[in-house]
Amino acid sequence: MAIVKMEKMHLLGLKKEQSQIMSALQKTGIVEVIDIVEDNDETAKEVQQDSKIRSELTKDLMDLESKLNNLKFGIDFLKPFAKSVNPLIQGKPNIKKDELAKVLKDEAQVLEALQAVFDLDKRLAQLKVEESKILNQIEILLPWQSLDIPFEQLGDTQETVFITAVMPRKAKDELEKSLEEDELLACIKALGENRDDVYTLVIYHKNHKEAMQSLFKEFSVTVQDFPGLTGTPAQIIKQDKKRLADIEKEREDIKRKSQELSSQKLYFEILYDYYSVERDRKSNILKLLDTDKSFYLQAWLPEKHKDFVKDRILGVTESVYIEFKEPDEDDDMPVLLSNAKLVEPFEVITELYSLPDPRGIDPNPYMAPFYFVFFGMMLSDAGYGIVVSLLTALALLKFKLEGSGRKFVSMFFLCGISTVIWGAIFGGWFGDLIKVKPLWINPLDNPMSVLILSFIMGIIQIYTGIILNAYKNIREGHVADALMDQGLWLVLLTGLLMFAVPQLGAVAKYVAIFGAVGLILTQGRSQKNIIMKLASGVLSLYDITGYLSDVLSYSRLLALGLTTGVIATVINTMAKTVSGSIVGYVVMVLILLGGHVFNILINILGAYVHSSRLQYIEFFSKFYDSGGRAFDPLRIKTTYVELEDL
Amino acid sequence: MSLTFGQVIALIGAALAVGLPGIGSARGVGIVGESASGLITEDPSKFGQALILQAIPGTQGIYGFLAGFLTIQKLGLLSGTLVDITTFQGWLIFAACMPIAIVGFMSAIYQGRVAASAIGIVSKRPEEVAKGITFAAMVETYAVLALLATILMLFGIVI
Repeated sequence: MAIVKMEKMHLLGLKKEQSQIMSALQKTGIVEVIDIVEDNDETAKEVQQDSKIRSELTKDLMDLESKLNNLKFGIDFLKPFAKSVNPLIQGKPNIKKDELAKVLKDEAQVLEALQAVFDLDKRLAQLKVEESKILNQIEILLPWQSLDIPFEQLGDTQETVFITAVMPRKAKDELEKSLEEDELLACIKALGENRDDVYTLVIYHKNHKEAMQSLFKEFSVTVQDFPGLTGTPAQIIKQDKKRLADIEKEREDIKRKSQELSSQKLYFEILYDYYSVERDRKSNILKLLDTDKSFYLQAWLPEKHKDFVKDRILGVTESVYIEFKEPDEDDDMPVLLSNAKLVEPFEVITELYSLPDPRGIDPNPYMAPFYFVFFGMMLSDAGYGIVVSLLTALALLKFKLEGSGRKFVSMFFLCGISTVIWGAIFGGWFGDLIKVKPLWINPLDNPMSVLILSFIMGIIQIYTGIILNAYKNIREGHVADALMDQGLWLVLLTGLLMFAVPQLGAVAKYVAIFGAVGLILTQGRSQKNIIMKLASGVLSLYDITGYLSDVLSYSRLLALGLTTGVIATVINTMAKTVSGSIVGYVVMVLILLGGHVFNILINILGAYVHSSRLQYIEFFSKFYDSGGRAFDPLRIKTTYVELEDL
Repeated sequence: MSLTFGQVIALIGAALAVGLPGIGSARGVGIVGESASGLITEDPSKFGQALILQAIPGTQGIYGFLAGFLTIQKLGLLSGTLVDITTFQGWLIFAACMPIAIVGFMSAIYQGRVAASAIGIVSKRPEEVAKGITFAAMVETYAVLALLATILMLFGIVI
C-alpha cells in the first residue's frame, strides 16, 4: 500500500542489442529511464554529444517528429469528414498485429493519401485567397457598375480624354460650375454614389488637360485607374460571380474527396501511434551513456517488479549485466501510489494538491475516509446523493474512462453514497419534498448539536494529522521528537478538550498544565542559551490559536449542510405555491426540476471545494510532505488506437 | 394589517442580508467572468474550468438569500401571518442579519478577485487549477463563518 518502493536498475549491454532491450523495457511499461547524460559532468556530455551515433539519433528523432506532425495534421483535417466514433463510449479501436503489419507494409500508399490531404488543404488555401481577392474586386467595381465603356477603351482618343474619377459629393456641383465659368470643353457623368463620394466618368478635350488637372487638384478629385482589367465593370462582376460559384463548386468537390479519403484516417492514426511509440523509445535512448560497442542505462522501477523486468531483458539477450540497488539518500526518485480500490479514487484529490515526497507518507488511506464523510455531510441530502451516485455509476458503466477522469467519477460515486447516509441521518430527501423522519436530528431544529458534531469531526482529523506526524518522526528514528513535539501537544489539547466535559474538569486542569509546561520546557531545545530556550518554549504555546482556528474551520460542515437543506426547502415552497391548476402543476414540476438540478450542482461544487480545503489546509498542514514527481515509465503510450501486440 | 416598528426593522435586516451579498456576488462573479472571457477567446476548451472558478464567488449571494429566507420564515411572512414582535426583538433580528450582509458583500468581491487571478493559472497551467480554487476557498471561509453566526443568532432569538 501507499507509496510504492522503488529500486534503481543499472544495466550494461551491447550496443547492437540496444534497441531490442529498449523495446523489451518499453513493453513492460514499468521502467522509467533516468537521464544520466544530463547529470554527467560537462566533458562527458560533450563527448556524448559529439558522437556520430547520437547525432544520427537526433536526426532520426527530428524526422519522426515531422512525420508525426504531418500525420496529426492529416488526422485533424479528416476528422470532420470521418464517421465519428466517440472514444469515450467505444474505447480506442484495438489493432491486431497483422493489421499493423499490413498498414506498415502499405505505408507508401498511406503516405500518398496523406500527401493528397496536404494537396487538398493547399488547394483550399489557394481558393480562399482567390475568393477574397475576387470579393475585394467586386466591392471596388460595384459603384462603377453603370459604366458601359470597357476599361481598356478609357484614356486618350484623338481629341478627347476619358477618365474615371471619384470626387466628394459637394465638389461635383462646384466643379461643374467652374467648368462652365472657364468655358472648358468637358463633361461629368455620374455613374454611382455612396454616402460621401460620387463615382463619375469625366470626358474633356485634350487641349484642356492642364486646366483640368489643376481643377481636379482644387476639388480633390481622385482619378481612378483600373490597370489590367478588360471589359465593362458589369461584365467583370458577372465573370467574378461565375468564378465564385466555381470556387464553391470546387470546395464541394474537395469536401467529397476528403470524404473519400476519410477512410484513411484510421491508418493515419495507426501510423501516428506506432511512430509516437518509436519516438518515445528513441528519445529515451538519448538518456543513456554509450561507448563504441556498449551502453549503460539507469532506470527506476517498482521493487516488486524487478524479477519480471529482469526476466524480460534476459529473454532478449544473455549478454547483459543487471544490478538492482536501493535508492541513495539524495536520489530524485519518482512517486507511484498504490492503494486499495476504495481509496484509489480519492488519490485525485491529493494529486491535484501535490504528490507526496517519495520518502514521506502517502496521505490517501488516511484522507479518504474523512473526505468521504465530509462530502456527504456538506451535501447532506439523500435524494441528491442517489442522483449523484446513479449518474456517476451510469457514467462508469457506459463510458470508457481512464486515468484521473475515472478516479474523479468514482470518487463522486462514493461520495454520493456518503451523501445518502448523511441525508438519511438528517432527514433530507430533496429537502422536505419526501417527508422522512431523520435517523438522528434535523440540523434546522438543532443546529448546535450538529455544530458540535462538526467540531468533533475536526478534532478527530487534527488528532489523526498530529499522530501521523509523530509516526513519521518515529519511522525516521526521532522518537524523542515525536514524544516532545507531537506527544506533548496531544496531551495539552486533550487536557483542554476535557474542560468541555464537566465531570473531567478537575483532572483536565492537571493534564493541560502538564502538557503546557512540557511544551515550554521542550520547544526551545534547539536554542543555545537558557533564556531563549524558555522564551521560544512559551512562544510555541501561541500555536494553540492555530489549532483553535483549525477546529472552528470545521463549522463549515454544518453551514454547507444547512445551505443545501434550506435552499431545497425554498424550491419546494416556491413550487407548492403555484400548484392548483393544470398549468400550475406543469410549472411546479419545472420549478422542482430546475431548482433541484441547480441546487445539486452548486452544492456539489461547494462540497467538493470545501472538503478539499479541509484536507489541504487543516489536515495536510499537520504532517504532509508534498513535492513528489510522478512516475512516468517508458511505455506504449498511444493516442488513437490500442497497439497491444506491438 | 398594521405593522409594528419591530417587524419593519427585522424585514430591513432580511432585505439587507439578501441584497448586500447579492450585490457582492454579482460583482465577484462579474470580475471572474471578464477575465474568463479573455481566456476563452484564446482557448475555448477551458470553459469548464473557468466556469467553476466563476461560480465560486457566487455562493455569498446564496448564503445571503438563505439568511434572508430564514429570517422571513421566522417572522411568519411565508405562512401569511406576521408574528407580532417588539421593536427590541426587531433590532435583535436586524443585528443577526448583519454578519452575512456585511461579510458576504465584501468577501464575494475579494473572492472574485482571487478567482479572477486564478484564471491565469487555468491559461498557463490548467493542471494546477485546484490550487487556484483552494486560494479562492480561503476567502470563502469568512463568509461561511458569518453565515453560521447569522444562523446561530437567528435560532437563538426567542420571539
